[in-house]
Amino acid sequence: MNATSVPSKSNSTAFRFADLAVVLVTLAALLAGWLLKNSVENRSIPFESSGLRAQSPRGWLTSAPVGGEVLHVTNPFASGFGTTYSLQLVPGSLDKTYADPQKPDEFTLVPRDATFGEVTNFLTLQHAQALSDFRLLDQKQVTVFGQPAYEIDYVYVESNPDLTHNQLPNIVRGLDYIFLNGDHAIVATYWADEKAFEADMGRFLQFLKSLEF
Amino acid sequence: MPDHACCVCSQPASSSIGSRWFCGKHHQSATRERPHTWRLSFLLVLGLVTFVGLVYLLDLLLHPALTGTPLILAGVLLALVPAFLWMVFFYLQDRIEPEPKSYILGVFLLGALLASAVGIPVVEDLFHVSKWIYTDTATTLLGSILVVGFIQEFLKYAAVRYSVYSSAEFDEATDGVIYATAAGLGYATVLNLQFVIANGGVALGSSVIRMVVVALAQASFAGITGYFLGRARFEKKSWWWLPSGLALASVGNGLFNWLRGRIVQTGISLTGPSTNPWLGLLLAAVVALVTLGLILWLIRRNIRTALAAK
Repeated sequence: MNATSVPSKSNSTAFRFADLAVVLVTLAALLAGWLLKNSVENRSIPFESSGLRAQSPRGWLTSAPVGGEVLHVTNPFASGFGTTYSLQLVPGSLDKTYADPQKPDEFTLVPRDATFGEVTNFLTLQHAQALSDFRLLDQKQVTVFGQPAYEIDYVYVESNPDLTHNQLPNIVRGLDYIFLNGDHAIVATYWADEKAFEADMGRFLQFLKSLEF
Repeated sequence: MPDHACCVCSQPASSSIGSRWFCGKHHQSATRERPHTWRLSFLLVLGLVTFVGLVYLLDLLLHPALTGTPLILAGVLLALVPAFLWMVFFYLQDRIEPEPKSYILGVFLLGALLASAVGIPVVEDLFHVSKWIYTDTATTLLGSILVVGFIQEFLKYAAVRYSVYSSAEFDEATDGVIYATAAGLGYATVLNLQFVIANGGVALGSSVIRMVVVALAQASFAGITGYFLGRARFEKKSWWWLPSGLALASVGNGLFNWLRGRIVQTGISLTGPSTNPWLGLLLAAVVALVTLGLILWLIRRNIRTALAAK
């Protein structure tokens, strides 16, 4: 008998089964946890307004829409900047020009039968004025779940204006998807902390998939 | 030629405790009375309470504005002191053949390493737990058990099972509890360090209470798994014995996290100043203390059984 031969059942077949069972039970629990995570993240409530329908994430904070917005929801559980989705209706106008900074009350208007390029210019200018350190990263024509759209990829800095707020500003990545619909443009926006941007993208695509107009 | 060899040193054995044989020297070491154990344990707990009170008082009176490196150093100190005191507390409970300190320290470090390299990345970066777990009560409870509880408890189990478990020093069922609590305290130290670092300007006075409770809870829940591991080492048990221990510890761990999470929920609620943010921590502390009581009772029962069978 040597020093390692302590009376032990740890080499028995039953013990090896037990060892394997521990790993399997843990994996089963984690799988159940993953399914729970997916089910929570995919929970949604129907939203309908101004002819737009979508499945909005359940449990998110809904803010009062500003300007042409019809929906503005934010994930309250995100650390740092809360991931935000918004839907904006940009109506067309016959006789008013759209990008005139001197006339902010008319700012949400784009020409009737506007092209993607015109709406993009309008949105870019709007973001540049409203968002700190706005930078346009990319813009391109895309097809979103069968719908022709235009994608604007950008970044800005979100900072609490309170001077006593002692936290670093957040770098926020944004994506706008512009859909033209008759004399309206519909803009679906995704804002997320740049660290969470990729991870949260899948959930936004589901939201986008549910969008009907 | 003797029939048996000492389970510690392999020299010819003369007496046994339960199914283990010891030489004269190690038998004497295993069975000697340690009358000071209770007094030392009490003094350790008193020391812990004094430490918490002192830090709380200093924070209250001086309002130290620590930032950067001093804050991190203070956080490291606050995380390590409770872990050290709890580790000595659990170590003292091992009356028969106390384990080598180097082994205990090794398992502590392994628990810390697994928390840092696997546990925290899986919970935070793979499962993104903080983003969805506080959605509603059922989700918080289930998520705390299935994800947080099982990951943490499995890693603490692994820290013992795949290191000292097969060594000659693991020579009694109680050793499972002692080593597992060391792994749990290693895990808790990293969690507490992460808490200090992630919160930069955390209020040291209130966070020290949280750290002491987290350290106790992580050690106690690991102790449950350790108890099952220890029994499985020396007794014939069914295949479901070890998974049951792990599941029990995970449920306790999840319950603790759920109760502690109530602090987060009250923090963002609109229920106003009537909400007591310490309620969650208090309830979580009760769960941890009940588990500690259970662990101590199991250790004493193991020792009594072993000595009675001498």
